[in-house]
Amino acid sequence: MPRWKRFRAGAGDTLVVSLTEEELTLLRSLPEQMRAVFEGDNDDPARARLFPRAYLDPTAESEESEWQALVHPSLLRERLDALELITATLVRASVNGDWWQIALTPDEVQAWLGVLNDTRLVLGTKLGVTEEERVLDPADPDAGAYAMYQWLTWLQGDLVEALL
Amino acid sequence: MTAPMEVQEPAVDDLTVTDKPWIVIVWNDPVNLMNYVVYVFQKLFGYSRKKATRLMRQVHEEGKAVVSDGPIEQCEADVARLHAHGLWATMEHPS
Repeated sequence: MPRWKRFRAGAGDTLVVSLTEEELTLLRSLPEQMRAVFEGDNDDPARARLFPRAYLDPTAESEESEWQALVHPSLLRERLDALELITATLVRASVNGDWWQIALTPDEVQAWLGVLNDTRLVLGTKLGVTEEERVLDPADPDAGAYAMYQWLTWLQGDLVEALL
Repeated sequence: MTAPMEVQEPAVDDLTVTDKPWIVIVWNDPVNLMNYVVYVFQKLFGYSRKKATRLMRQVHEEGKAVVSDGPIEQCEADVARLHAHGLWATMEHPS
């Protein structure tokens, strides 16, 4: 997939993202998969990575439970809201030459950033990624997921560069 | 030269101990991007680019860094914001 800057300043305070049709299709498939993880099993390590403990100390169980009861509903709500927001932006993509483009407001940009990062955390946990880059045989059962992970890594990195 | 005056050490009482701030620690992980971590530290804590970059480097190289401290309620809120942004953060009270 072509690799040049995908997020550029647009009119007003918008950021315009440019995607290929294939990329747009991939992104449209994310919210449903992520919703399943968010609302899924507590024992799922990927879900645990998104909603980790606040207290490392294993003797602080009561503090941990109180904190979880206090913040978990809003942390979950925020993540579900971000999925709705990114879904709404993907619906309004319009063709411009070879590209599909979407002008994103600052709130929508934050939703994109969150969903891209959360998806990488989930894929990274499932794939057991380390800081060393892997070279996978195309026949490896993880090859597709790892290619997706690498593409999302590059896309998110480009988005952060546009924001810094 | 005059001899130094004898200085009385202030007594450490319970108040001093309970006043000690809680700390928020961010742990290294292999997924979060370096520039993203810098961005999150700047956004959540209002740190300069320089300070946010130094903290990110410390997390990356030493495995963890203390990113904020204060009363327990503030640290609980900081940890929640860091988790909302996908960073692996915990809090503790240094003894």
